[in-house]
Amino acid sequence: MTKVQNRTRAGGTIVPPDPWDPLVRITHWLIALAVLCNGLLNKGGGTWHVWIGWGVLAVLALRLAWGLVGPAEARFSAFPPAPRAAIAHLRDLLRGRPREHRSHNPAGALMVYALWGSLAVITLTGLVMTDAQSPVTLAEQKAAVAAGDWSALAAAPPTGNNEAIKDVAEEIHEVFANFLLILAGLHVAGVAIESRALRRNLLRPMLLGSRKP
Amino acid sequence: MTERRKKSKERRSSVALASFLLLQATAAVFFVGDAASELFQDPGEPHSVFEGLVSVALIVGVAVGIWQLRVTLARMAAQERALETARGSLADVIDAQFAAWKLTPAERDVGLFALKGLDVAQIAEIRGAAAGTVRAQLTRIYAKAGVSGRAQFAAWFVEDLLQAGLEMELPERQRA
Repeated sequence: MTKVQNRTRAGGTIVPPDPWDPLVRITHWLIALAVLCNGLLNKGGGTWHVWIGWGVLAVLALRLAWGLVGPAEARFSAFPPAPRAAIAHLRDLLRGRPREHRSHNPAGALMVYALWGSLAVITLTGLVMTDAQSPVTLAEQKAAVAAGDWSALAAAPPTGNNEAIKDVAEEIHEVFANFLLILAGLHVAGVAIESRALRRNLLRPMLLGSRKP
Repeated sequence: MTERRKKSKERRSSVALASFLLLQATAAVFFVGDAASELFQDPGEPHSVFEGLVSVALIVGVAVGIWQLRVTLARMAAQERALETARGSLADVIDAQFAAWKLTPAERDVGLFALKGLDVAQIAEIRGAAAGTVRAQLTRIYAKAGVSGRAQFAAWFVEDLLQAGLEMELPERQRA
């Protein structure tokens, strides 16, 4: 009863979901982990890099599907890309008076789309670079070659004539990977600044499932 | 307490559902990718047809999982809303009844604290009044409500919520 009263008293402001739904939370942290792993720890490629990349593809696909059919706060319609509103929000933030939003704030929404776009570009160029061979096939090939059976390589799709395309793909892959890391850094900084301005820990709803500590 | 426990149980189950959904989606992507590359290499093989079938099953499984999670989350949200409404309407009922008993503003405050389970000393501390004053106010409240004491006063509001189960056993009650 007091809770209801307090809430109406605080009224007018729209309080964002606390917590975010479990699918949003889990996909968020899995992507973060994958970006750290593939972007910083095992940049070079290799089987693990490909496994994780395919995992990102799955997680991203699920999150995008959730953006169409999930609960209201998780849907694209709750945070349409609106550059003008994003700039207005950043201006409010600089003045220290950002408004509350039900889902991502407009600047955060742009960040979300930039992150998803980069992830899509990186995974798709990654597929081009590996001839879209699944990590299972790659691992099998590697094992066969290690066992001395070179015919496994001959069975692989011909690679000769699209070598140029692959080089371009690799270039794009690397540029967007660096771009993604920069975006991730900005994202973390944005959350920290917004948390200070709103005097509310924005990390908690994404991290934990409970409303109360 | 049980309400809270039930809620956390439901929340855990939604987390489990989401985790399982992710595992399923990941498996589907790996399997479909592998099956597609094999289908590309030698189409029409019975093996490829079989893998195609499994792919479809996996994708349908993911779709069903998405739908299930959506339903679970919607139900949790509805329960939360219902609980808030119940809390809110109980507050309305109490307000209306206090007005009907013609309690003074001070008595309403004290009555509300009493309903929340605070004892005389605590109420006196919150209101910055003497314990004797609070005791006198409570006595007046009970008199106006026509109840014998605190237990009956609290029961007055709870009884409605429990009535469904006891209707047959309790005699008709007189209300002020």
